[in-house]
Amino acid sequence: MSETNPSTGSDESPRVLSRELVMLLCLLALVVMLALTALLSRLYHKKIHTLADAMFAQGEMDEQAGQVNFALADYRNALAYNPTNPLFQFHLAKALSAANRGEEARSYLLNMLSESPGSGEVNLELARIAARVNSMADAMRYYQGAIYGEWSSDPMARRWAARRELCETLLNRGEVKQAAPEVIALQENTPTGDLARLRIVAQLLLRTQQWTRALELYRTLLAADRNDQESVAGAAQAAFQLGQYNTAMEYFDQLPHDRREQADLANPFVLTGRILAMDPFLSGLSAEVRSQRATNALTLAQTRAETCARQTGQPLEGAPPQTELQRLYEQEKSLQPDWTPRYLERFPDRLDAAMAYVFAVENAAATACGETQGDDRALWLLGRSRSVVNR
Amino acid sequence: MSDPLVIPPTTEPDVATPAADAPHAERMGLRARWQAWTHAVFTLREDRFFLLLAVFIGIFSGLVVVCFRLAIEWTQITLLGPSLSPSFPRVVLAPMIAGFAVALLAIHVFPRVRGSGVNQVKSAMYISNGYVSFTNVIGKFFACALAIGSGQSLGPEDPSLLMGAGIASLIGRSLRLSQEKLRLIAPVGAAAGLAAAFNAPISAVLFVIEEVIGTWSAGVLGAIVLAAVSSVVTMRAFLGADSLFRVPLFRLAGPGEVLAYVALGVAGGAASLVLLKWIVWARPKMQQLPLWAEYLQPAAAGLLIGLIGIRFPQVMGAGYAIVDQAMHGQFGWQLLLLLAGLKLLATGISFLSGTPGGMFAPVIFIGAMLGGAVGSIEHHFFPALTATIGTFALVGIGTLFAGFLRTPITSVFMVIELSGNYTAILPVIISTMIAYGISRAYQKVPLFDLLARQDGIVLPSIEERREMTSFVVEDAMRTGGVLVSEPGDHIVEVAKRAEAHPEAALLLRMRPGEWWLLDRDDVLRLAPDAARTTTPIHAKSKGPVPYLFRDQSLAEALQVMGDWPVLPVASRADLGKLEGILTLADTLHAFRKTPKED
Repeated sequence: MSETNPSTGSDESPRVLSRELVMLLCLLALVVMLALTALLSRLYHKKIHTLADAMFAQGEMDEQAGQVNFALADYRNALAYNPTNPLFQFHLAKALSAANRGEEARSYLLNMLSESPGSGEVNLELARIAARVNSMADAMRYYQGAIYGEWSSDPMARRWAARRELCETLLNRGEVKQAAPEVIALQENTPTGDLARLRIVAQLLLRTQQWTRALELYRTLLAADRNDQESVAGAAQAAFQLGQYNTAMEYFDQLPHDRREQADLANPFVLTGRILAMDPFLSGLSAEVRSQRATNALTLAQTRAETCARQTGQPLEGAPPQTELQRLYEQEKSLQPDWTPRYLERFPDRLDAAMAYVFAVENAAATACGETQGDDRALWLLGRSRSVVNR
Repeated sequence: MSDPLVIPPTTEPDVATPAADAPHAERMGLRARWQAWTHAVFTLREDRFFLLLAVFIGIFSGLVVVCFRLAIEWTQITLLGPSLSPSFPRVVLAPMIAGFAVALLAIHVFPRVRGSGVNQVKSAMYISNGYVSFTNVIGKFFACALAIGSGQSLGPEDPSLLMGAGIASLIGRSLRLSQEKLRLIAPVGAAAGLAAAFNAPISAVLFVIEEVIGTWSAGVLGAIVLAAVSSVVTMRAFLGADSLFRVPLFRLAGPGEVLAYVALGVAGGAASLVLLKWIVWARPKMQQLPLWAEYLQPAAAGLLIGLIGIRFPQVMGAGYAIVDQAMHGQFGWQLLLLLAGLKLLATGISFLSGTPGGMFAPVIFIGAMLGGAVGSIEHHFFPALTATIGTFALVGIGTLFAGFLRTPITSVFMVIELSGNYTAILPVIISTMIAYGISRAYQKVPLFDLLARQDGIVLPSIEERREMTSFVVEDAMRTGGVLVSEPGDHIVEVAKRAEAHPEAALLLRMRPGEWWLLDRDDVLRLAPDAARTTTPIHAKSKGPVPYLFRDQSLAEALQVMGDWPVLPVASRADLGKLEGILTLADTLHAFRKTPKED
């Protein structure tokens, strides 16, 4: 067969042989090139990983020394040589966040999140940045991502810490209602034997005004360590808020004087003392003392009503009565004869009615003129606790 | 006669075919196996062999591009140090000294190393039968690695494209491929080189088709895709599969938000024009400088860039790491705008000095900075915008790419490929089209054509070719002037009609899709003495006549026309239905008409 290549005009057989040789040479060249590229690539990667690790280590040192700007430069250098290293990215993002460059940090973190959406660490950092810029919807979403996300080490503890941070973030923003269920969830996720964390939870329960749960938890803590002053103080506060003044006073009494004088306890302690001194319903009191306390309360209430009337410019004797205080004054005028110390001592139901009147006056005055301090405040709190008890 | 597309068997006459004698071949050992393998390979049809070759070229190009990128990185670490902010003496001295070395290489060792790789590939395709000098590949490798690694504001993509083309050309020449395949193999290699450099195979394929080849040729598309994919796979095996940039996730809040990208399109178009016009104005002037100046130009450019780099090291080199930082919102709008301007300046200086290197990376850099700046400013005035700065930076890349390189389809797909996020498509389309429109309106000749013309070469303008009016049969055909007869018609009737229309062509429809041309004189001759059974079939006729459809190009029609005086134009829905006729005179008349007359 004698054929001619249309393109070259050469004889076919030598050309084919030549192609074979060329292909063989090409294959050999490819193998050599592969080996060379592999060698170069290995050397290069080794070099840049060494460089990147050194820069990252330097960045960590700078960060620990508080030199955030140097740390940022080092982390960026490290990342330039190893752009996909999540550890480098995360540290750079954290450093940016610490340098108040939240938007830049957020960008890196979002990138990381797109690659590992379940990362607890990344979600937590994003939540912090979102909270800092008051983007609470995003913050909540990322906190939830952190709470239910994956953690590289000690996941239970990290999730617990993330939820605690969420609770504190919400409380610091006054979002008590939003924080309450999170604190309950936190309590449920706290091991019963972990007293340190239980103390934190109890504090958060107090801050979210979950007094019953708080008191219960403080009792548990005190059962484990009855000398724990913070637990005693917490229990006292919870009991005070629940209107359990006797219990509160018992706890206050366990505290040293200087602790009771501290800002968080001073006012509740004083008020508890006053309430207990004014309460005519305390068990163990003689009829005479009850009557005396009720009479004093009536006098205080009357004075409070008059003061408030003067403050609002609406005299107590209004015809027809228009305000709550005027209505109560009318009622008091008709019942006053029944509330003499003698009657009050002899007829307990009249004492109940007199005290109900006192509480109503304190309530009305608080509504019309604002809350007050001292004995009036004590009476108002007593009335509130009685209404809770009655309910 | 043998089929020229089939490469004949490689075996000697005494060697049996491998299919029949495979066990025998095994017994014969290594030589027989080799012969069997080569037989299998070389007896492939040339177009299939070409596809196989494309994979081979892709792997080779991928390896070379990996080495090239490593060389750039290594040069950078060696000359500028490992930090992103090089120290003072290095930042000025390294680009200057390297610039002088590059000038020596370009003048004395690799004289063709300067110039656009894209145009060199186009030259290979249209001028030198697919020839790309391998010396030029070596020159590009070393000179560009030195230039880019030392901080010149140029990128590795264009040299990679040329290296791929050069390797492909060398292999093609060595294998003595046909001339047609040799012309096409350079773009195949170019796609492989660009794909590996960008880590974006789709964009590379589109760029080569859009800018180098200019048409969607099915004959080469498969090879280009295979080469691009195999080169990217090879590159990823060594450098990892990560895309050039890590783009933060984003989504459009509403359709109204795309309006924010209109401003970016305008800014991108304006920035493209600034760079283009500068090159148009300054390059001829630089080319007129005496030879001694060529020794100093890259060094001077290096010195200027080094001086900029003292305060703004971000503008040095390809700058991908900086683009990544911009996408993560690390710069304020003032700095972004400043970096865009300085990079534009530095790129112009590097390019005009004749330092070898590509413009793709600088364009990406400028686009990202400009996009980020526009995004930041818009965020300032419209804080409700949900798109991040990274989104604007990403769209900015495509915008400047479309405005400067005038490859709108590549620009759109490049952004999608780089981001891996389809959400970007609407903003990118809007922004790139505006930039492309502005650039075209104020700079008629695209960059690559302009560079070629400045170098004294007239390469086919892909943009012009893309938009050139293509005439179709419909533009030339006439709907009257033809009489159609059926085989059952009486010859007298046909003759009467022919006498009534002396200019009309006579067509006989034998059956749907089969047309014959009747001889008028013979019809008229037969009619007077015709019997009752005489039909047009009895007249002299020529056929079957090839038929056309109204949407076929006139070029195709001319090929079909041959010696036929008239061609029927049939309906695609009903081959028996005549829509018109086409003559050579009609065709020529259509070509003479200008689009304006149309």
